[in-house]
Amino acid sequence: MDELVEAFVARRPSGLEQAYALWSRLFFSVARHAIADSDRAEDCVHDALVRVWRSPNRFSGNREMLKAYLVTCVRNESFTTLRREGRRDARELKTARLAPVTSVDPPVVDPVETQRLQAALGRLPDEQRMALTLAYYGNKTHVEIAQELNVPLGTIKSRISMAMRKLQTDLASAEGTRS
Amino acid sequence: MTEHLGENAELYPLGILDDDAVRDVERHIALCDACAERVAQAQRAAASLAAALPAASPSPALERRLRDSVRPPLGAAKGHPSIFRFALAAAVALIFLGLGWQTLVLQQRLKAEDIAFVTMVHSHFNHVSMSPESANPVAAKILYARDGSWIYIIADKPGGSLHAIAETPTGSIDLGGLTSTGETASLLVHPRERIRSMVLQRAGQNVASARLTY
Repeated sequence: MDELVEAFVARRPSGLEQAYALWSRLFFSVARHAIADSDRAEDCVHDALVRVWRSPNRFSGNREMLKAYLVTCVRNESFTTLRREGRRDARELKTARLAPVTSVDPPVVDPVETQRLQAALGRLPDEQRMALTLAYYGNKTHVEIAQELNVPLGTIKSRISMAMRKLQTDLASAEGTRS
Repeated sequence: MTEHLGENAELYPLGILDDDAVRDVERHIALCDACAERVAQAQRAAASLAAALPAASPSPALERRLRDSVRPPLGAAKGHPSIFRFALAAAVALIFLGLGWQTLVLQQRLKAEDIAFVTMVHSHFNHVSMSPESANPVAAKILYARDGSWIYIIADKPGGSLHAIAETPTGSIDLGGLTSTGETASLLVHPRERIRSMVLQRAGQNVASARLTY
């Protein structure tokens, strides 16, 4: 097993510290995208990572999967915090960035990976890309997206689900080609 | 078990499910391997989406907070108000392990490196005797944290300046010279990489070596 993963699962402090050293910008960028206030975004990163580290039996997998798992935990923690505070609406979501592909801000990771992602998003059918983009970059719930697009809730869930699965396949295939 | 997650497996890592649905997903994947795998794949796709987010860097304070949250507080544990209790605990542990002579040295160095020793006492650690090498070897032992975060080398009657060389997954690291304290010499390091093996050199010649297991 990967040493980092092993240390993390064994609840060694070094496991969390190494994970943070590798992916701190990613974690914080994910939280900061959901929460406008930097201090509260840091709280979310802290709370999510410590909670996960204290119950690592939930995780099994390799290093990339650990990264993805932790990113998910940070994002869910951020939205849980917003919901708890009753603020997952106007003020916070004004900061949402609806057009990441054309954003001039530097991306979190290397440009090649960003390019691959953008290409994969571009290959999705329009209605699926729209639903996924509103959900991830627009920070909208599936209920809000259904209302905004005037489409049944079940349809939105299906579009997002299909978009995610296509994205997985597309990115995995691109990864295979690159390696 | 309830029925499989269905589309919520892909919605979960996007953070768009409500709290009840999130809890349902987490409970379910703890019991269902198939759905856990589906969620894991969705998480990878979601992590890729994060690649296009504008970058933001956390303050250095966050790293310190995380460290404080996962490391035992130094010298602040309830019921152990004094550094000397930690020293005593360390001494008892080491005597129990048959390392009496190292204990004396630990006590001598306590004032200078009390933080490091408190960390040791709080941590689980391993120890290994170094194998003598050359015609004029040195008797030495290594105490080290199970997570590899610190290593303490101690040599008896060093017979000259000793130098420590460590082998890590990425190559050799010169850890520097051991500090002589009379009859013994020692070195405390906090390596950045996990150390696999260690060699002590005197005048460029190997005089002791050990392999570290974690």
